[in-house]
Amino acid sequence: MSIRVLVADDARFMRQLIREIIEPEGFEVVGEAADGRAAVEEFQRLSPDLVTMDIVMPKRSGIDAVKEILALDPSAKVAMVSALGQESLVMEALQAGASDYIVKPFKPDSVVATLRKIAEKGA
Amino acid sequence: MDIAKYRTLFLEEATEHLAEIGQALLVLEKDARAGEALDTVFRLMHSMKGMGASLGYDAVSELAHRLEDRLGAWKKCGGIDDPHGLALLFHGLESLERMVAAVRETAEAPPPDLALLGELGDREPEKKAPRLP
Repeated sequence: MSIRVLVADDARFMRQLIREIIEPEGFEVVGEAADGRAAVEEFQRLSPDLVTMDIVMPKRSGIDAVKEILALDPSAKVAMVSALGQESLVMEALQAGASDYIVKPFKPDSVVATLRKIAEKGA
Repeated sequence: MDIAKYRTLFLEEATEHLAEIGQALLVLEKDARAGEALDTVFRLMHSMKGMGASLGYDAVSELAHRLEDRLGAWKKCGGIDDPHGLALLFHGLESLERMVAAVRETAEAPPPDLALLGELGDREPEKKAPRLP
Protein backbone atom coordinates (compact mmCIF):
# COMPACT_ATOMS: atom_id res chain seq x y z
CA MET A 1 0.00 0.00 0.00
CA SER A 2 1.34 3.44 -0.84
CA ILE A 3 2.24 6.00 1.80
CA ARG A 4 -0.09 9.00 1.56
CA VAL A 5 1.78 12.31 1.64
CA LEU A 6 0.75 15.95 1.96
CA VAL A 7 3.35 18.31 0.43
CA ALA A 8 3.43 21.82 1.90
CA ASP A 9 5.64 24.36 0.13
CA ASP A 10 4.91 27.84 -1.20
CA ALA A 11 6.89 27.15 -4.41
CA ARG A 12 5.11 25.14 -7.14
CA PHE A 13 8.59 24.20 -8.36
CA MET A 14 9.41 22.47 -5.07
CA ARG A 15 6.02 20.78 -4.72
CA GLN A 16 6.39 19.33 -8.20
CA LEU A 17 9.98 18.24 -7.54
CA ILE A 18 9.06 16.41 -4.32
CA ARG A 19 6.15 14.73 -6.07
CA GLU A 20 8.38 13.49 -8.91
CA ILE A 21 11.03 12.23 -6.51
CA ILE A 22 8.72 10.25 -4.23
CA GLU A 23 5.81 9.02 -6.36
CA PRO A 24 7.83 6.39 -8.26
CA GLU A 25 9.07 5.10 -4.88
CA GLY A 26 5.79 3.99 -3.34
CA PHE A 27 4.45 7.30 -2.04
CA GLU A 28 1.23 8.93 -3.17
CA VAL A 29 0.94 12.72 -2.97
CA VAL A 30 -2.66 13.11 -1.84
CA GLY A 31 -2.59 16.87 -1.42
CA GLU A 32 -0.55 20.06 -1.71
CA ALA A 33 -0.56 23.24 0.35
CA ALA A 34 1.04 26.57 -0.56
CA ASP A 35 1.07 28.12 2.92
CA GLY A 36 1.12 27.10 6.55
CA ARG A 37 -2.57 27.71 7.16
CA ALA A 38 -3.57 25.58 4.17
CA ALA A 39 -1.18 22.86 5.37
CA VAL A 40 -3.07 22.56 8.66
CA GLU A 41 -6.45 22.59 6.86
CA GLU A 42 -5.36 19.98 4.35
CA PHE A 43 -3.91 17.82 7.11
CA GLN A 44 -7.29 17.79 8.86
CA ARG A 45 -9.14 17.09 5.63
CA LEU A 46 -6.88 14.40 4.22
CA SER A 47 -5.33 12.70 7.29
CA PRO A 48 -2.13 11.85 5.37
CA ASP A 49 0.41 9.32 6.65
CA LEU A 50 3.17 11.90 6.31
CA VAL A 51 3.62 15.64 5.69
CA THR A 52 6.61 17.36 4.08
CA MET A 53 6.67 20.89 5.47
CA ASP A 54 8.69 23.80 4.13
CA ILE A 55 9.84 26.14 6.90
CA VAL A 56 9.52 29.54 5.20
CA MET A 57 5.93 29.95 4.02
CA PRO A 58 3.36 32.77 4.00
CA LYS A 59 0.37 33.16 6.33
CA ARG A 60 1.75 30.71 8.88
CA SER A 61 5.34 29.46 9.04
CA GLY A 62 6.08 25.77 8.65
CA ILE A 63 7.13 25.64 12.31
CA ASP A 64 3.82 27.09 13.53
CA ALA A 65 1.96 24.71 11.20
CA VAL A 66 3.86 21.71 12.65
CA LYS A 67 2.99 22.78 16.18
CA GLU A 68 -0.66 23.08 15.24
CA ILE A 69 -0.74 19.74 13.43
CA LEU A 70 0.87 18.00 16.39
CA ALA A 71 -1.62 19.61 18.75
CA LEU A 72 -4.39 18.14 16.57
CA ASP A 73 -2.71 14.76 16.24
CA PRO A 74 0.31 14.01 18.45
CA SER A 75 1.14 10.94 16.31
CA ALA A 76 1.40 12.99 13.07
CA LYS A 77 4.58 12.44 11.09
CA VAL A 78 6.13 15.58 9.64
CA ALA A 79 9.38 15.97 7.71
CA MET A 80 10.68 19.53 7.65
CA VAL A 81 12.05 20.81 4.35
CA SER A 82 15.02 22.99 5.12
CA ALA A 83 17.70 24.90 3.25
CA LEU A 84 21.26 25.83 4.12
CA GLY A 85 21.37 28.40 6.88
CA GLN A 86 18.18 27.24 8.62
CA GLU A 87 19.77 25.01 11.24
CA SER A 88 18.27 26.81 14.24
CA LEU A 89 14.78 26.74 12.70
CA VAL A 90 15.11 23.01 11.97
CA MET A 91 16.16 22.46 15.57
CA GLU A 92 13.11 24.38 16.78
CA ALA A 93 10.85 22.26 14.56
CA LEU A 94 12.43 19.01 15.76
CA GLN A 95 12.00 20.08 19.37
CA ALA A 96 8.36 20.90 18.59
CA GLY A 97 7.90 17.30 17.46
CA ALA A 98 8.75 17.15 13.75
CA SER A 99 10.03 13.66 12.92
CA ASP A 100 13.07 14.50 10.78
CA TYR A 101 14.14 16.86 7.99
CA ILE A 102 15.24 16.87 4.37
CA VAL A 103 17.54 19.48 2.85
CA LYS A 104 17.29 21.55 -0.34
CA PRO A 105 18.67 21.12 -2.95
CA PHE A 106 17.26 17.61 -2.75
CA LYS A 107 19.26 14.44 -3.14
CA PRO A 108 16.48 12.10 -4.30
CA ASP A 109 17.84 8.96 -2.60
CA SER A 110 18.20 10.76 0.67
CA VAL A 111 14.70 12.27 0.47
CA VAL A 112 13.15 8.85 -0.17
CA ALA A 113 15.20 7.15 2.57
CA THR A 114 14.29 9.80 5.14
CA LEU A 115 10.58 9.73 4.32
CA ARG A 116 10.51 5.94 4.34
CA LYS A 117 12.25 5.87 7.72
CA ILE A 118 9.69 8.30 9.17
CA ALA A 119 6.75 6.41 7.67
CA GLU A 120 7.98 3.09 9.06
CA LYS A 121 8.58 4.51 12.53
CA GLY A 122 5.70 3.38 14.73
CA ALA A 123 3.79 1.97 11.74
CA MET B 1 14.78 15.28 -13.56
CA ASP B 2 13.41 16.79 -16.74
CA ILE B 3 15.58 19.93 -16.81
CA ALA B 4 13.59 21.64 -19.58
CA LYS B 5 10.35 21.21 -17.65
CA TYR B 6 11.87 22.54 -14.42
CA ARG B 7 13.56 25.40 -16.30
CA THR B 8 10.12 26.47 -17.55
CA LEU B 9 8.69 26.20 -14.02
CA PHE B 10 11.63 28.24 -12.72
CA LEU B 11 11.14 30.95 -15.34
CA GLU B 12 7.43 31.24 -14.56
CA GLU B 13 7.77 31.23 -10.81
CA ALA B 14 10.93 33.35 -10.64
CA THR B 15 9.29 36.00 -12.84
CA GLU B 16 6.30 36.11 -10.47
CA HIS B 17 8.56 36.23 -7.42
CA LEU B 18 10.67 39.09 -8.79
CA ALA B 19 7.56 41.12 -9.65
CA GLU B 20 6.29 40.57 -6.10
CA ILE B 21 9.68 41.50 -4.63
CA GLY B 22 9.56 44.71 -6.70
CA GLN B 23 6.15 45.60 -5.24
CA ALA B 24 7.33 44.87 -1.69
CA LEU B 25 10.45 47.02 -2.19
CA LEU B 26 8.23 49.95 -3.17
CA VAL B 27 6.42 49.52 0.16
CA LEU B 28 9.75 49.36 2.00
CA GLU B 29 10.89 52.50 0.19
CA LYS B 30 8.06 54.36 1.96
CA ASP B 31 8.48 52.56 5.27
CA ALA B 32 11.71 50.68 5.96
CA ARG B 33 10.04 49.00 8.96
CA ALA B 34 7.10 47.54 7.01
CA GLY B 35 7.22 44.06 8.52
CA GLU B 36 4.93 42.31 6.07
CA ALA B 37 6.88 43.60 3.05
CA LEU B 38 10.16 42.59 4.66
CA ASP B 39 8.77 39.10 5.35
CA THR B 40 7.62 38.83 1.74
CA VAL B 41 11.01 39.78 0.28
CA PHE B 42 12.75 37.39 2.70
CA ARG B 43 10.45 34.49 1.81
CA LEU B 44 10.72 35.05 -1.94
CA MET B 45 14.53 35.36 -1.80
CA HIS B 46 14.52 32.08 0.10
CA SER B 47 12.44 30.53 -2.65
CA MET B 48 14.72 31.93 -5.39
CA LYS B 49 17.67 30.39 -3.55
CA GLY B 50 16.03 26.98 -3.42
CA MET B 51 14.95 26.94 -7.06
CA GLY B 52 18.33 28.23 -8.26
CA ALA B 53 20.22 25.62 -6.25
CA SER B 54 17.96 22.82 -7.53
CA LEU B 55 18.80 23.67 -11.14
CA GLY B 56 22.50 24.35 -10.55
CA TYR B 57 22.06 28.09 -11.15
CA ASP B 58 24.70 28.97 -8.57
CA ALA B 59 24.70 32.67 -9.48
CA VAL B 60 21.00 32.89 -8.59
CA SER B 61 21.19 30.82 -5.41
CA GLU B 62 24.34 32.53 -4.12
CA LEU B 63 23.01 36.06 -4.65
CA ALA B 64 19.58 35.17 -3.22
CA HIS B 65 21.28 33.49 -0.26
CA ARG B 66 23.37 36.54 0.61
CA LEU B 67 20.39 38.85 0.24
CA GLU B 68 18.35 36.48 2.39
CA ASP B 69 21.06 36.67 5.09
CA ARG B 70 20.85 40.49 5.05
CA LEU B 71 17.06 40.38 5.12
CA GLY B 72 17.12 37.94 8.02
CA ALA B 73 19.29 40.34 10.02
CA TRP B 74 16.95 43.26 9.21
CA LYS B 75 13.92 41.19 10.21
CA LYS B 76 15.53 40.56 13.60
CA CYS B 77 16.09 44.26 14.22
CA GLY B 78 12.58 45.21 13.04
CA GLY B 79 13.43 46.96 9.77
CA ILE B 80 16.12 48.02 7.31
CA ASP B 81 18.53 49.95 9.50
CA ASP B 82 21.24 50.41 6.88
CA PRO B 83 21.01 53.64 4.81
CA HIS B 84 22.21 51.74 1.72
CA GLY B 85 20.07 48.68 2.44
CA LEU B 86 17.22 49.46 0.11
CA ALA B 87 19.56 50.38 -2.76
CA LEU B 88 21.28 47.04 -2.24
CA LEU B 89 17.95 45.23 -2.47
CA PHE B 90 16.99 47.08 -5.66
CA HIS B 91 20.41 46.17 -7.13
CA GLY B 92 19.81 42.59 -6.09
CA LEU B 93 16.42 42.59 -7.76
CA GLU B 94 17.85 44.01 -11.01
CA SER B 95 20.65 41.49 -10.99
CA LEU B 96 18.27 38.56 -10.42
CA GLU B 97 16.05 39.87 -13.23
CA ARG B 98 19.08 39.90 -15.55
CA MET B 99 19.94 36.34 -14.52
CA VAL B 100 16.41 35.09 -15.15
CA ALA B 101 16.42 36.84 -18.55
CA ALA B 102 19.73 35.14 -19.35
CA VAL B 103 18.27 31.72 -18.50
CA ARG B 104 15.27 32.50 -20.71
CA GLU B 105 17.50 33.52 -23.63
CA THR B 106 20.25 30.91 -23.39
CA ALA B 107 18.76 28.02 -21.36
CA GLU B 108 22.12 28.02 -19.56
CA ALA B 109 23.18 28.85 -16.01
CA PRO B 110 23.70 32.64 -15.79
CA PRO B 111 27.04 34.21 -14.77
CA PRO B 112 27.48 35.57 -11.23
CA ASP B 113 27.23 39.25 -10.32
CA LEU B 114 30.65 39.45 -8.69
CA ALA B 115 30.45 43.19 -8.00
CA LEU B 116 27.22 42.84 -6.03
CA LEU B 117 28.43 39.72 -4.23
CA GLY B 118 31.52 41.72 -3.21
CA GLU B 119 29.28 44.48 -1.85
CA LEU B 120 27.20 41.98 0.11
CA GLY B 121 30.22 40.31 1.72
CA ASP B 122 30.50 36.74 2.90
CA ARG B 123 27.58 34.47 3.67
CA GLU B 124 26.76 33.78 7.28
CA PRO B 125 28.84 30.79 8.36
CA GLU B 126 26.99 27.51 8.04
CA LYS B 127 26.28 25.64 11.24
CA LYS B 128 26.40 21.90 11.72
CA ALA B 129 23.37 19.91 10.64
CA PRO B 130 20.93 19.55 13.52
CA ARG B 131 20.68 16.15 15.22
CA LEU B 132 17.40 14.55 16.02
CA PRO B 133 16.46 15.12 19.66
